[in-house]
Amino acid sequence: MPIEEANGLKLHTQHLATGEGMPPVLMLHGLVIDNLSSWYYTIANPVAQVADVHLVDLRGHGRSEMPKTGYKVEDNVDDVVALLDRWGITEPVHLFGNSFGGVVSLALAHRHPDRVASLFLIEAHFAVEGWGEHMAGSLALAAFGLDEDAVQDWLAENADRKLSRLAKRSERFLTETTLIDDLQAEQPITWLPEIACPTYAMYGAETDIMDRALELQAKVPGCELEIVPGCSHSLLTEQSGLVRDRALAWLARVS
Amino acid sequence: MPETVTPESVLAELETILTEVIGDDLLLDGPLTMETSFDQDLQLESIEFVALSEKLLETYGEQVDFVGWLAEMELDDIIALTVGQLVDFVASNASSASSTSGREA
Repeated sequence: MPIEEANGLKLHTQHLATGEGMPPVLMLHGLVIDNLSSWYYTIANPVAQVADVHLVDLRGHGRSEMPKTGYKVEDNVDDVVALLDRWGITEPVHLFGNSFGGVVSLALAHRHPDRVASLFLIEAHFAVEGWGEHMAGSLALAAFGLDEDAVQDWLAENADRKLSRLAKRSERFLTETTLIDDLQAEQPITWLPEIACPTYAMYGAETDIMDRALELQAKVPGCELEIVPGCSHSLLTEQSGLVRDRALAWLARVS
Repeated sequence: MPETVTPESVLAELETILTEVIGDDLLLDGPLTMETSFDQDLQLESIEFVALSEKLLETYGEQVDFVGWLAEMELDDIIALTVGQLVDFVASNASSASSTSGREA
């Protein structure tokens, strides 16, 4: 299992390479119950036919270390930049971000514009006014729910192995780290007009965060927005074939 | 890479790898067969499937092109994968793989 030491943490990464001299792509996943496998199962392998694809389990997720603290967007940006340094990737990368991975991608492009060639965002979930309370509120509910003895008993009796392992790991993430506090402390993003790289954003028409889609389109210079009919926030898995086709077309244009 | 690669030898290797990846949680009602599915029967987590692919790559070398193989599949195909499909893919491709590549440890 490729474990990289970066920013003082052990992070699980995967490198999918099929040839030399291909443009570097880094894919960042969503929050808590997500990890790099959502990319691996959907578009990472097809994209690796034309690009040098790197995947990472963000801190606390998948097979990466789960430190007690440091779950602000900026901490994740620091982790990713440390990884790029460790891999010796100095040329700008094409960042793919799903949900929370989208806000990490945006923040990286803002803070380190020389490291990012383009942004391909799926259901990017970034801070607007009141975001911290909204995200942390729904997460806190899950945390408290999982704390209930009755729920634990139900999981032990009824949930299949996969669900109960994921539930236990998520519970530990939510109750034993500063994740919720860190998310609550996030400030609304004010710097979207400063994003300087080409940006493509996809959202499901039934998403609960359509306001983010419209804000990206309105504020990120040249941002191309595509709304996919009939899809929810789980656009990546609901329409992986379509997302794959858009990703390949995007890379053909910007790399 | 093992010297002779047959579906039987790949199946045995896969059982060893699964035990490494899943640990003591690997609970099977019967032996691992070609019909066993990773999702329904083994309840393999998707992140564990990534680890399994990686270990097979270490064992059989890069000429067993998992990236290319998975690239041809839709999400539903990957979720529905059986042990037999994976074994047949490895066995048919590993026989042409370089004998110099393989597990280092």
